Amino acid sequence: MSDSLPEDSPVPELKRHAKGKRPGFYETGGMDEAMSMIMVLASEFCVLRDRVDTIEHIARIKGVDLAKEIESFEPNLPILEEREKRRQGFLERLYYVTQKKAAEQSSNDTEERYHEVLKDIAET
Amino acid sequence: MQLNIFQQQPHAVLPIGDHDDRVRQEFSKSFRQYIQNELLPGLTPVFEGRASRKFENENGHPPADRHEIRKAMVPDIYFQTYASATRIAQEMLWESVIKPLQKELPELTDKAVALSDQSNSPLETDSDFSVPRYISELDIHCMPGGYATSHAEHDIAAGALYDRGVYLYSMGFMGPDNDDMGQSVCNYIKRNLPEFSPQYILDLGCTIGHSTLPYKKEFPDADVIGIDVAAPCIRYAHARAAAMGHDVGFLQRNAENTGFEDGSFDLIVSHILLHETSGKAMPKIFEEGYRLLKPGGYMIHADLPPFEKMGPFMQFILDNETYYNNEPFWGAMRTMDQIQLAIDAGFDPDSVRFDTAPMAVMELSAEDQAELEDREFVAGEYAPGGGWEVLIARKDP
Repeated sequence: MSDSLPEDSPVPELKRHAKGKRPGFYETGGMDEAMSMIMVLASEFCVLRDRVDTIEHIARIKGVDLAKEIESFEPNLPILEEREKRRQGFLERLYYVTQKKAAEQSSNDTEERYHEVLKDIAET
Repeated sequence: MQLNIFQQQPHAVLPIGDHDDRVRQEFSKSFRQYIQNELLPGLTPVFEGRASRKFENENGHPPADRHEIRKAMVPDIYFQTYASATRIAQEMLWESVIKPLQKELPELTDKAVALSDQSNSPLETDSDFSVPRYISELDIHCMPGGYATSHAEHDIAAGALYDRGVYLYSMGFMGPDNDDMGQSVCNYIKRNLPEFSPQYILDLGCTIGHSTLPYKKEFPDADVIGIDVAAPCIRYAHARAAAMGHDVGFLQRNAENTGFEDGSFDLIVSHILLHETSGKAMPKIFEEGYRLLKPGGYMIHADLPPFEKMGPFMQFILDNETYYNNEPFWGAMRTMDQIQLAIDAGFDPDSVRFDTAPMAVMELSAEDQAELEDREFVAGEYAPGGGWEVLIARKDP
C-alpha cells in the first residue's frame, strides 16, 4: 500500500499493523497467538455483555425501538462504574491461575511443599 | 456529554464509533487498568523470589542492574504473561479506534478542512518535508501507520487515531481534553514563576496540540505555536483547536531545526517529546531551544523521570516500553545527562534543574488529591507519583 495516494483517491485503507517486529513472549509455539485470540474473545464477550446491559436498561426505561435507542443511548456515570466493576471482576476470573501463582510466590507455597505434604500424610 | 474528569470530552473531529466500538475501546482501557493495578504488583514477589534465586544460581550473584533484572525476568512465565497482556492491550486499543475511524474518516476529514478554513491561525505543512528516522523507522507505541503516514493532501487519520488513543492509553488520566501535561506545566509556571508572563510560546513535537492549548488558555494574550514533524497530526491539531475555539497556529517543523529567527520566543515547552527523539537529536533540540529563546526565557521539557531517580527494578519495569512497545529511545533517553545537555547548550547552569509538576487532573479531583499525599514513585502508573517530571532551564536575562 502506498503512503501517498493521489488527492482524488477513495478513502485510504488504514493500516492495522504497526511497523516494527512483534516480540514473542512465550516459549511454547502458538501461545502468543492463543493469548491474543483469548483476549480478543474476552473483549467481544464484554461487547456482547455490555450490549445486553444497554438493552436491559433501555427496555426498563422505555421499551421502544431498541435498535435505534441503543445507538443513541449514553450510559450515565453509575452505569459506567457498574460496567467497570464487572470488567475488572471478569479479568480477575480470567487471570485466576496467574494470580494463584503470584499468591504462591508470596506465601512460599511450592511444589516441594506439596510433595512433602503427600509424603507426610501418607506416613503419619 | 462529559460525565467526570476521566471521560473524554467529544469534539467535532474526534472519532468514537458506535455502541460496540465504544465498548471495545472501554475494554482495552479496562484491560490496561487491570494489568497495571492487579498484574504488575505480582512482578515484585516473582522477581525477589524465584527469578532472583534462579539468576543467582546460574550467575553466582543476584541481578545487579536493570539489564540483569531483565535477563532474570524474561524467562519467567509470570513476566511473560504480564508483558504479553500489556502488548495485546496496546494492539486492541489501536484496533478499537481504527475500525470506527475508517468508517468516519471521510466525514471527519471534511469537517477538519472546514474548521481549518474558518481559523485565523496559521496552518503550514510541506509535502517535501523530511520526517526524521526516529519517527519513521518504527511505528512508535505500536500505533499502526505511526504519526507521519499521510495518505492524501488533507489526511488527518493519524491525528484522529492518536487523539482517541491517548485518552484510552492514559486511562482518562490526561483529562477530558487530553490536556493534562500542558495544564500541569501551566499550573507549575503560575505557581513557581508568578512574575513570568510569556508573549511568544512554542510547543515542540506537539502532535495534535492537546498539550499546546492550555498555554493559550492560561496566557490568552500570547502568540502560541505548536510544531511537529507529522503532517496529519498538524492538520488535525489545527482543526481540533478551531473546533475547541482556540486561536493557535500549527506548523510542520522539526524541533532540531525549526527555521524561526533567533530570540523568537519567551517560553519553549515539550511534552513527552524527548523520549521519542534520538541521542543525536536531543542535544540539537536543546541547542535550538537556546537559540530561539529571548534573554530571560525558559525552556521546559515534561517527560517521565530519568533512571537515576529510581531503583533498578523500577528502571526495568519502565524499560519494558523500549522492548515491547516500539519505543526505541525510551530507555536510552533516561540514561542521558539532561542537565549537562542543557548547560552545554548555553543555559545558565544555576537555572537548570528537574522538578515535579503535579498532575492537573488529580488536583481537579479533591478525593484523589487526598490519596495522592505521601505517595512515592510507583512504576507502571500512568504518571508515576501523580506528577510529571519537568526539566527547566533559563537563558541568561
